[in-house]
Amino acid sequence: MLETFTPAVCGSRKRQIVGQSLFAVAAVVTSAMLGLLLGLLGSMLGAEQAVLGAAALALVAAAREAGLIRFSIPQARRQVPEHWRFELPLPVWATGYGAGLGAGFFTYQPISTFWVACAGALALAEPVPAALCVSLYGAGRALMVVWPRRRADDPTAAVERLTSRRGTLLRANVIALVACGILLAVAPAAGAGVTQIAQNALDPTVDRGNLAFATASGDVVVRPASGPDRTYNGAAEPSLSGPYLAYRDSAGIRVIRWADGTEVRRIASPNVSKPALAWPLIAFVRRAPPYDKLFVRNLVTGRVTLYATVRLPTDLGRPSLRHGRLAWHSATRKESKIMVVTLSSGARRTMAITRIGLLGNPSIYRTRVVWADARFGVTFLKQGWVTGSRRVVLARINSRTVSYWTTALASNAAYMTRWVMPTVRTDLFRRTP
Amino acid sequence: MPQPDGTRLDRQAERLSAKLAESQTRKSFLGRLGAAALAIAGGSAVAAAVKPDEADAFHLCGHIWTTGSCPSPYPPLARIDRKGYPLHPSSGRPIDNLGRIVDSAGYALDGNGNRLLGPDGAVLAPGPRTRVCEDWTREVKGLRDLRIQGSWYRCCGGQIRKLTDCCSFSSRRINGDASLVGYCWGGRRVYCVMYYDTGLAC
Repeated sequence: MLETFTPAVCGSRKRQIVGQSLFAVAAVVTSAMLGLLLGLLGSMLGAEQAVLGAAALALVAAAREAGLIRFSIPQARRQVPEHWRFELPLPVWATGYGAGLGAGFFTYQPISTFWVACAGALALAEPVPAALCVSLYGAGRALMVVWPRRRADDPTAAVERLTSRRGTLLRANVIALVACGILLAVAPAAGAGVTQIAQNALDPTVDRGNLAFATASGDVVVRPASGPDRTYNGAAEPSLSGPYLAYRDSAGIRVIRWADGTEVRRIASPNVSKPALAWPLIAFVRRAPPYDKLFVRNLVTGRVTLYATVRLPTDLGRPSLRHGRLAWHSATRKESKIMVVTLSSGARRTMAITRIGLLGNPSIYRTRVVWADARFGVTFLKQGWVTGSRRVVLARINSRTVSYWTTALASNAAYMTRWVMPTVRTDLFRRTP
Repeated sequence: MPQPDGTRLDRQAERLSAKLAESQTRKSFLGRLGAAALAIAGGSAVAAAVKPDEADAFHLCGHIWTTGSCPSPYPPLARIDRKGYPLHPSSGRPIDNLGRIVDSAGYALDGNGNRLLGPDGAVLAPGPRTRVCEDWTREVKGLRDLRIQGSWYRCCGGQIRKLTDCCSFSSRRINGDASLVGYCWGGRRVYCVMYYDTGLAC
């Protein structure tokens, strides 16, 4: 390969420089494109949680390179097609060689580091940073073509010198891989602590270690802290509170004991939806065109209190009721906001308000509130405190087509629905500290 | 008499152009007059009156000064309608603040023109669609005194483009450096710029 980029093969010193330049540009651009695709794929797959996988892969690769374990790595045991340089003009074959080697998949890989870099780019789940990172691989390929010229007239001599230091290089590679593995494992990378917990699921609700969610097929699944899942057909919009589960069905809102399915209460009206249960209180939205109204009913005493009224098509979102506080969102064409009211005092607080984003689906746990904050090209899962103005970003998605939807909050974790808009696919994720 | 050297001339020219840009200029008056004429008369008569030139750009067609675009769903292409609400830069259709094409009632549409459904299968409620200068820039940059004021016209893509200043009392513009009066008035200065494609041939 190196003998290819010599004045003798290229035709002149000037043509050699042109060939090397084209090779370098093609290698860097192709590897950057590879990184871009991997980052894009990672963002589409939600591969942020694969960071730990990439760390493990780096450590396994380090063990392989140190000779501790043995396994073959996937690769095409081919070199660049030599006949190109006889048949094609210099700009074409130089660019082709660069592109072929920059892509990485189509050539011999003496060490496994390339695959670790690919896994890291996938787990990064952000196209541009991934492109920048993987482009260094192409830069390395280009360097190996350009560098020998500086030290010797015969490029093969430079390669031989490098080969004589193979042991040192391999040891340096092992150290670099171990460092990568450790840094990936401990770094608070984007999405670290975010794990997928259910596919084709939405509307999470959590209480005392028990989780429930709706499925895309129109069921509600209760996943107890111990024991098998329980499924309720023809149900949606679940809300857990201790031994009780509220959900919406075709006849209204049903409250059951989720352990055995016994019905406890029912709000029989096709116009009620979005239940939020904190036994014996239940919050729900009643549609009475042209209004949507948010009520809280005491299922023991029957007392009903109105907390919000909006004129359609204003969106009055899924409420959250816990520990004596009620949270909900409203979104008009002018603004969207997250509201919290303390039931005992009636004190209201606007947790967040924006005229340029879309805030939605809050969940409350004691004094903490989480909500989805969608902006153009990015969606945040934010957390705030009822008692203060501090706000933190728990998770984010950089995408125009993937967003967070409904949320749930527990003492040690936040749950969120991740929504891929074009396919209307929803999956549940958990974010732990 | 000594001849003025090039550097001195440059300095004087720079001072003069800065003074012109910072003061109420004939351009300001013409800009406002042009806007009024366009609003009142419309049509090809105005197209002939403003006589725009073909214009190259620093970051959008028609904008040959350096002030950056206002924050918008598709930065830096802050394309707006007549009332200052965001439009899709290429299709010119109304978009909400998340960049989704919307119908006249504000509902987001899919690629086939149907109202977008949420994960629960229900039609998504309309999201916010707010003005690029008065709402977007105000919230992103924390300025409370923003107004659309002056404008000027250029020929872009065969039609008259109205370039509009989003003006503030701030002495700094969106770029972070000192702002100019430009086409603003009443003590305001150019904070950022937007554009409106009139659809009138030039």
